[in-house]
Parts: sequence; structure tokens; C-alpha cells
Amino acid sequence: MKQVNKPNPQYMRKTFFFFLPITGFFLFSISATHAQDGEAIFKQNCSACHKVGGGRLVGPDLAGVTTKRTEEWLMKWTRSSQALIKSGDADAKAIYEEYSSIMMPDQTIPNGDIKAIYTFIAGKSEAATVAAPTVAETPVSASANATPEVIELGKNLFIGSNALSNGGVACIACHNVNYTGVIPGGLLAKDLTTAHSRLGGDAGILGILGAPPFPAMTQAYKGKTITEPEIAALTAFLNKVDKDTANQVASSPYLLLYGGIGGLGGILILIYFLWFARKKETVKKDIYDRQLKSI
Amino acid sequence: MDVRSQVSMVFHLDKCIGCHTCSIACKNIWTDRKGAEYMWWNNVETKPGTGYPTKWENQDIYKGGWEKNGDTVSLKGAGKFKGLKNIFHNPHMPVLDDYYEPWTYKYQDLFTAPEGDDQPTARPVSLVTGEHMDVQSGPNWDDDMSGSIDYARQDVNLEKLSAAEREAMFQLERMTLHYLPRICNHCLNPACVGSCPSGALYKRGEDGIVLINQERCRAWRMCVTACPYKKSYYNWNTGKSEKCILCYPRLESGQAPACFHSCVGRIRYLGVLLYDADKIAAAAAAPDDRLVDAQMDIYLDPFDPEVIKQARLNGVADSTITAAQNSPVYKFVKVWKLALPLHPEFRTLPNLFYVPALLPTMATVSDGVYNSTSKSLWNGVESNRLPMKYLASLFSAGDTGKVTEVMKRLMAVRLHRRGVTVGDLNAAEISQALKEVQMEPDTADAIFRLTALATFDERFVIPPAHREESIEMLENTGDVKGNTGFGFKEKPVRGL
Repeated sequence: MKQVNKPNPQYMRKTFFFFLPITGFFLFSISATHAQDGEAIFKQNCSACHKVGGGRLVGPDLAGVTTKRTEEWLMKWTRSSQALIKSGDADAKAIYEEYSSIMMPDQTIPNGDIKAIYTFIAGKSEAATVAAPTVAETPVSASANATPEVIELGKNLFIGSNALSNGGVACIACHNVNYTGVIPGGLLAKDLTTAHSRLGGDAGILGILGAPPFPAMTQAYKGKTITEPEIAALTAFLNKVDKDTANQVASSPYLLLYGGIGGLGGILILIYFLWFARKKETVKKDIYDRQLKSI
Repeated sequence: MDVRSQVSMVFHLDKCIGCHTCSIACKNIWTDRKGAEYMWWNNVETKPGTGYPTKWENQDIYKGGWEKNGDTVSLKGAGKFKGLKNIFHNPHMPVLDDYYEPWTYKYQDLFTAPEGDDQPTARPVSLVTGEHMDVQSGPNWDDDMSGSIDYARQDVNLEKLSAAEREAMFQLERMTLHYLPRICNHCLNPACVGSCPSGALYKRGEDGIVLINQERCRAWRMCVTACPYKKSYYNWNTGKSEKCILCYPRLESGQAPACFHSCVGRIRYLGVLLYDADKIAAAAAAPDDRLVDAQMDIYLDPFDPEVIKQARLNGVADSTITAAQNSPVYKFVKVWKLALPLHPEFRTLPNLFYVPALLPTMATVSDGVYNSTSKSLWNGVESNRLPMKYLASLFSAGDTGKVTEVMKRLMAVRLHRRGVTVGDLNAAEISQALKEVQMEPDTADAIFRLTALATFDERFVIPPAHREESIEMLENTGDVKGNTGFGFKEKPVRGL
């Protein structure tokens, strides 16, 4: 008779020895990411907005930041800069306002990775000569000289008429821009109409598109990286959108509300006249009224 | 020629005494179910009056029936576009208040009330909500109310009369009324069938009875508004619409419909008319002054060999053709030209015809003395108490000539019979009256006989249904013996 329900001890032991090396490998690989990959992780997650030496991008130059701030403060900021600002930290607030109130995305990477990044930054800061914080430095916009064909290509990539070559989803799925000939885009992520100036010119956009730092965007473009020419075209397009918008008169944000109220009123008035002669009460109303009067 | 058979009806209004026995017979058989209490598949109205549901004839309110649209007709308030526009809320739909809220009394309170200073009473309770209610109106509260402000003077048929004519109608000395019993007309061009978005309504092939398939009805209630006679009713309990079925289970077993069978005044006649279905479209779209004639042209002579041949080719049974030849309806409508359809201007080609009532003529008041007699016992139809314009609005789409002719024929018969039975009239006067309407004394006698002395079998010539034979070819009827009847094969899930 074969026992079906009772676990077989021999089988259990075999399974244990089979999984042991695999489990060990994972444990090892997690701990091994510590220092060696600091640079890679920085490139993946931070380089879109930050440099270590060489001036500011969207965010500040991080050279020397490890000596300027405590590790605890840095960890809090990285986890959630907004939470830190809300907790009343004056430094955090000052930095946020200095950098045009552009929120740094909350990072969800493991603690070890963040530490690895700071280890990398500390190492690099020593080597690099800290550039003078020239706040007035304006980023160079190569995309301003882009040909109309490139801008057109950027537009087509944005709205999805031309597919991204590695199969990434078109920008319009989540983003909106106000631009002639582009239908309203998604509202899942930020409006990109003024992204070019908001992110400090080409560099910010190039960085974000090269290695998307936002969690949702990272997931969306995992293994579907946007190629160099595509990034250039999209940057040129966003630059053009930004410049064109600057010349437009901003519409009232309450247009939809007022328009909706006005439209509803119009429809109600129309209905009132269209169905003025409709049957609104029982045909016996006269009789009922007279009945009541006679009581 | 596309010859088909239609079970048709004649109501002789001169004989109706307004007793509502027909309504009760119908109610007891068909509409005493929950949700159907307010339905009166058969009802009796007083004319002038507003009828049931109130002001049903006023299609400005209810948008029922067809309207002429070039060479064809289109539904007044339903159809593809208009119907779709109103499919979820139909403003022309009669509401329960336009009918009445049905009620019963708490009779048990009369027996179970504790001893007190007052007599126990049976309070009225609504059959819709089950709550106590104040009864505000009923299905026949305009009964005998000629001259009343609320009912008689609201009659839509008075619209074509001048104010003076209307006032004269309701003077005490000449005020009159007659009854108008109504059932479903089982029309040749039924608006209810045309309006149904679900295709649940249909006209039975062998006898033209219009029915609602209770399995297919989806409660859109387009038939309720589309029927200009308001003879389709919505059952709020089952979530399906219902209408008069002309007691087809009784007809199939050779019995007259319950309202016909129970009629005390014996005013009702039922028989087959053969008609040419090819002419329906043209007749329905005929100009107003030709409407009645166009409808009469549809009905065919059942003795014509060509008609018989075509009818046989169309599968009309020989027994049905024989029934058409003996049909009292054929005699009243086609041979004697005494019966007219009710409101032909609705263009549904109704198959219920009315012989108008020969009401008493006008009386005179001299020196303050009311004098009901006049020079001759009957004055001419011109001095009828109800103006011809009023009757024409009811029965001939406003054509007074048509109604006057019918009234003259009826008067000729009455004068002739007075001469035979009493003999106090001048013979020249009688022959003049007969001559004027080109009627032989024999014909007048035949009309008198079918009007006054007709037996049960003369009044109801019901064609054998042959349903049993056709069903038995397909299935063993023994299998379902005792299992069929009015109801549902599957319990409906809609409704309350």
C-alpha cells in the first residue's frame, strides 16, 4: 500500500540539499551588491538628475554631499524628500525651493544600494575637484537647433505614430502636452508641456529618458530602452513644445467647470422648450383639484 | 389578392343599457390577477364623456395611432427614431392616475372590529400599495354624467363643435347620452404591433386576433402609448404588457368571448370578414374623407367565386368561408351599411364596428311646459339630440354625410316596423323613408330580425378553429392535457 498523505523523509532531504546552493547564491549576490556596484546603481537611478562633480543638472551636484550632511539625513531624503520637508527640516525645504520645487522621486531601492551609492559618491568626491556652485549657469540646449524633421520624428514618437524601436510604450499613454495636432494624452504622469524648462534643459530630459528614475517609468521601460536618436528627437520635440507654449495665452483652469455649468444650463433650457408641451401631470388633475375644493 | 380571414365584431349601441356585465365577465375571467386589477380589457363608457383611461381619444396627449405621411403612414409617438428617443422615458405614457388606483375594502374589519360606539367600517385599501387610500376616481366614474363639467364637457369629440352647439347639447331639455362599450379592435393595421421594439406583438394568422407574446415582451410599453384606443395595459406585477385576447381559448372551442356571451342587451355580434391584405397599406394612408370607404373596400364578398378561390389558395378553411357567408358582421357592415368603425382617423383599420344609437329627438318647451312629443313621433335625423358633427367625430373621421346616411337607414327600418306592428304612420311617409335610402321592405325586416330577435347562433358565427388538427400533427396533445392555460412556462424575473 502506498501512503499518499504522509511526507516522505527521503524526498524532503533531497529537496533540502537541492535548494541549499540556490538559496546561498541569492544571499551572496544580495550582499555582494554593496560597494562594487555603487557606480552602476548611481547611473541607473540618479544620473538623470545628478552629477558628482561637474555642476548641477535638474538636482544639485552631489560632490561632497556625504561630508556636508549626516548619513541619517541623506537616507531620509532619499527615501522620501517630501516627508522630510513636511517634518519641518529647514535645510530640506531650502534645497527644494532652490531647485524650482521639483520633487525628487521617492526611491524604493534596498538600503544597501543607497549606502553603496553614497560610498561611491564619497569616493568620487575626493578625486574630483568640486566645481564652483555657479548657480547662474544656463544649460546648453543643443535641441534648440534641431531640424523640423527631427522635431516631427519626436512628435510621432511621442504620440505613437512611430513605434519606439525597442518596443517601449508611446509617451502619450501617460503624459500630456499642449501642442497643435497632438490629442490630449494620459493623466497618469506629469504634464510635459513645460518639462524642458522645468527639468533644466536638454540634460534633464536626456538623463530621464536614458535611465528613467521614476518607479512606474522604470518598470514600463525595463528592457525596452529608448535609443539615442529617439531620445534626441523627443528632447527636440519637448523643447519645441515648451517654446511654443511660452507664446500662448494660458487658458483659465476653471474653463471646464464654467463651461460645464454653462453647457448644462443651456441643455436644460433647450429641454424646457423642446418638451414644453409634454404631458407633465395626470389628465385628471382638474377633477382632483375640484374634488379637494369641494371638501 | 391576398385573402385572409378576420374575426370581426359589431356592437349595436341602440341596444346597450350600460350595465357593465361585459366588463365584469371579462374581469372575472382574465384580469383579477395581481397587477391586472386596473385593466379593463372590456369597458363601457358614457358618451359624451372622457372614457377610460381619461381622455384616451385625445392623441395630442397620448400620441397613439398612425398619422398620414405622404403615401404611407407612420406612428405618431413610436417607431424607430421616436421610439428610441423615448425608450427609457416615454412622456406620452398614461400614468396610473390617468387610469385609476384599483382598490378593495377591508371586509374582515366588519367582523373582527372590537365593540365600540360606531359601526365598524370596511376601509378602502389600495390594490397596488396595500395601504389605506382615499378613493379619487374609478374606471367608470363618468357613467351617465352627460352635461358634467369634468367629464361630458371634456369630451375631445366636442372640439369640432362651435361653442353655441356645445352649449345647446347640454341644455336640460335636450341633454342625452349613449353608451360606448369598448374592447380591443384587433385592427388590420395595429399600431401596437408596429410599435413593439421586441416584436412581442403579433396578429394571429387564421383569425387576426392581436396578441402579446408573454415570453418575448420586454416591458418597453410602446404598445401602451401606440394603441390609440389604450387597450394595451402594463402589468406591474409580471413586468409584461397584456391586452384583450378576444377569449381565443373560448373561440377555439366554439364559444363566444365572455363579454359577448354575457351581454344582457344582446348588442354584440361576432363573425368572420374576408379581407384583401394587399389593400391595407393604401387604405390606412387614404385621405381623411375617404378613410371609411377605403376600409370598407378591403372587406370582400364571401360569395364571390374569385374571392373563394383566392381564399382557398391562401389556406383559409372551407368552414371559415362558410362562416364568413353567414357572418352577421358582414351583413351589418357591408350589406346593410349600418355599422361604422370607431375613430377611423387613427388609421389602424379597427375590426370592431358600431351601429350608432338612434337617440330621442329634440323636445320642445312651450309656455314653460316640457313637451317631449313632436309633430310626428320621430322627427328627421337632423333634429337628433346629439349633433351629427359629434357622431361623425366618433365614427367617420368627421364626415357627417356618412353618419347621417346610417342614421337615415336606421330610421327607415324603425318607421317600417312601426308601420307593421302599430300601423299609426302614413304609408307614404314610410315608403318615402325607405326609398330615400334605397331599402326594400324585406331588407328592413331582415335588419329588424337580426337586431331584435337574433338567436345566439345568429349573433355569434364562430368559425371552427382547426387548431386541434394542426397541433395533433406535431405533438400528442395528451401530453399537456391539464397543463396549459394562462400563465408562464418560466416565472418572469422582472416586475415587482
